[in-house]
Amino acid sequence: MPKIQIVGRSYPQIDGMEKATGRTRFASDIKLAGMLHARVLRSPYPHARILNIDTSRAKALPGVKAVVTYADTPGIKFGPRSDDWTIFADDKVRFCGDEVAAVAAVDEDTAEEALELIRVEYEELPFVESPLEALKPGAPLVHEDHPGNVAAEFKVEAGDVDRALANSHVVCEESFYTNQTYQAYLEPMGAVADVDLAGRITLYAGNQIPSMIRVPYAKALGLTLDQVRVVLPDYGGGFGAKMETNTHLVAMLLAQKTGRPVRHFNTRHDDFIAGNPRVPMYIDIKLGADKEGVITGKEVKVIGDAGARIVYSQIIVATACYRVDSLYRFKNVRAKGITAYTNTVPTSCFRGFGNTQATFVLESAMDILAHKLGMDPAEMRVKNSIGPDSVSVHGWKINSCGLKECVEEATKMSGWAEKKAKKRPLKGIGLSCCNHVSGNRAFAREFDGGAGIVRIGRDGRISVYHGESDMGQGQKTVYAQIAAETLGVPLDWVSVMQVDTDISPWGFGSFATRGTLMGGNGVLAASKDAFIKLAQVAADMMESNVDDVVCEGGRFYVKGSPDKSLDFKEVALNATDSNHGSPVMGTGFYDPPTVLPDPKTKQGNISPAYPFGCQIAEVEVDPTTGKVTVTNFVAAHDVGRAINPMALEGQIQGGVAQGLGWTLMENMVTNKGKVANANFLDYLIPTALDMPPVEPKLIEPYEPNGPYGAKGIGEPAINPTMSAITNAIYDATGVRITELPVSPEKLLAEMEKLKGSHEG
Amino acid sequence: MKIPIEFVVNGEPQALFVKPNHTLLDVLRDDLGLLGAKKGCGEGKCGTCTVIMDGKPVNSCLILAPRADGSDIITVEGLADGEPHPMQKAFVEQGAVQCGFCTPGMIMTACALLDEKSDPSEEEIRLALSGNLCRCTGYAKIVEAVQVCAQRIQQDKGA
Ligand code: FES
Ligand code: FES
Repeated sequence: MPKIQIVGRSYPQIDGMEKATGRTRFASDIKLAGMLHARVLRSPYPHARILNIDTSRAKALPGVKAVVTYADTPGIKFGPRSDDWTIFADDKVRFCGDEVAAVAAVDEDTAEEALELIRVEYEELPFVESPLEALKPGAPLVHEDHPGNVAAEFKVEAGDVDRALANSHVVCEESFYTNQTYQAYLEPMGAVADVDLAGRITLYAGNQIPSMIRVPYAKALGLTLDQVRVVLPDYGGGFGAKMETNTHLVAMLLAQKTGRPVRHFNTRHDDFIAGNPRVPMYIDIKLGADKEGVITGKEVKVIGDAGARIVYSQIIVATACYRVDSLYRFKNVRAKGITAYTNTVPTSCFRGFGNTQATFVLESAMDILAHKLGMDPAEMRVKNSIGPDSVSVHGWKINSCGLKECVEEATKMSGWAEKKAKKRPLKGIGLSCCNHVSGNRAFAREFDGGAGIVRIGRDGRISVYHGESDMGQGQKTVYAQIAAETLGVPLDWVSVMQVDTDISPWGFGSFATRGTLMGGNGVLAASKDAFIKLAQVAADMMESNVDDVVCEGGRFYVKGSPDKSLDFKEVALNATDSNHGSPVMGTGFYDPPTVLPDPKTKQGNISPAYPFGCQIAEVEVDPTTGKVTVTNFVAAHDVGRAINPMALEGQIQGGVAQGLGWTLMENMVTNKGKVANANFLDYLIPTALDMPPVEPKLIEPYEPNGPYGAKGIGEPAINPTMSAITNAIYDATGVRITELPVSPEKLLAEMEKLKGSHEG
Repeated sequence: MKIPIEFVVNGEPQALFVKPNHTLLDVLRDDLGLLGAKKGCGEGKCGTCTVIMDGKPVNSCLILAPRADGSDIITVEGLADGEPHPMQKAFVEQGAVQCGFCTPGMIMTACALLDEKSDPSEEEIRLALSGNLCRCTGYAKIVEAVQVCAQRIQQDKGA
């Protein structure tokens, strides 16, 4: 076999220069001939009955082509996971921002003007903002068919938790709260929808699940699946948010009504109030350990806020209940999760998918236990760490696992031992570990996996088709590297094609840190298939056996005689001509060795590979203001074999930035049912000035189920960040943070309290 | 009522009629088809719409179109001179580009900084870029790219 040349090397994004020169056409740059512009009228109330909607004046405004409300929809209930959606509010609005009506007009100014002419009569209803309130008897019902506002429940249990906790040497019992945060991708959500004479819709939308999104959309519009085609342009970030949204359906419905292409993008304000922010959670934990620091048992209770309808919140709450149990060698665990409806913006995926919330809680509790035991928190992690070739408490099969190495490297890089030994006033260092999945069978239920198509043209150009979604993480480049490596050609011979559901394989898309492993394995399988087909032609041309033919640097040769070689392009030309124009087509798929967990016991391996990591934060706390400054950060991550180290580093640095923002700055504030800070002035995300140096380190155990040994990185990059910082704050101040974000005022008050108790 | 304006965009004189409530960003994107500058917020808070106006980086979403009359504008499309600008190359090579939605604005701000100060410190770079949000990269590689570009320009001058 030729040696590995392209996989494992840092390459800039294959389309990086297009982006840097302003040539890339993002979703919001798309303009189609005759395109109309849409704006949505949203509810000003968190909960109200709609008595009447008068659109007549809006319809009469010159330039307005259509005004639509619920009455103009097929009235079908639908949803990604629960049929509690309608395209517009039916008889009542359920959150501030709920879609009430929409206008399509010749330009945005006209559409905006028309919105002001729509008259809606509401009867305000009592509303509920907090999931704790929502679950109380007598709370206002968000959906009449969901008594008690219970959207979903989840239970899991293994071993004997009560006995384990009772027999523990130390137990940490603590309540935590993780707040609502906004993904804050720089390109707001939106789409352009076009419709043909037969009523078939093409949706140009930046979204993470181009194939899957068609299913609820077709249902909502009363169409068959084949009548909804999705084309995936480049788009400006997603981080979990860009999945199903009524924002797209508004454009689709208006395109149907007008017969013209319709563009609908959220304003930034609309994106804040009606996007898919992170699921807030109340999490109570009991965690026990024996004298040696070995974990005995864990119990958690999670209450999550779905908002006014379910996007993916209930599986996010389920994930918070048990994914983190595969980080350590747990034997006794129990969890119960309740997802509650409230009259607030529907919540959904945000990098980490519930495992971020759970990791913050578990890793804070580990820190508490380590202190109770007088043990080094790093040592306690290593002691409990799950290892390679092991099976976790829920039956998850861990192949590769570099968790211990991550802790070792991170502690070495940060000078952990010295800094821990030497107490420095108001300076602290904190550590946190994490685990995650690379794909999740429990999410993609029909099947999981990935598929690819590799086409080699008469000119030798290689086109890779896949069904996943590059939201900026560099997925296209990784797929190009895999294809180029497998075919033995230079990287720039490969194009990775835009996802078009008329052409691309069905893919589940980019979530659950699955892109590299699932999609990458699909591309790998297709590349191998294409290689064999072309190698056969080369073998015939060289009068050799296909098994003896290799390709390197774009030249085929028979093993052992590299001096007598054939140009790849010449072979491609020959292959196409002898097939009367038919290109060489490689297809292939990856079927992961995973199962749907048992519905009752939740036992079963849900992912083919599990990434791990350890992050260490150093902080300084200002004693007069309570302001926390992160001064240094290291992040060691087990990524399997790195395909593109530079891209992986970028993922880690970006994930840490989002985690730092969450811990110290970001909070969606709701006041009387309204998001009170729906803009980038009042909702701050980190700028270049807020970021400390973040030093990434890649730990690279070979993962047998990964393409060229690789696992995923997207979500693990943020999972441990919050608790690394809050554990450092504890080290600096003695204040245990149990609620995110850390506000300077609250921290200061807690520090004062501690001082008082020491002095008193 | 539309208002006539005349200005220079990427070296080319332009004469247009604009709506008084439209912004420079609207005019660039909708009237001139220059889609490099992006609309990340439309309220002056993200920097994705940054262009250089009379030598200074500005949020073009905050400039009413009539105010652009008589100005000299450079957008990301106007940077490349036959081949990509060294800042564009540095961004790509250093991995400072992920989704790329912040990239044009970020590059314009960075270029304006180096025009003002050829050898900025890391702190100065971070300060200059602090009005340009990036949600993907955590800024580390962006700062590196600006440093690499500054060094290269210095070296080229020295040579
Ligand atoms: S679009 Fe101009 S600052 Fe955001
Ligand atoms: S690269 Fe995506 S916002 Fe900066």
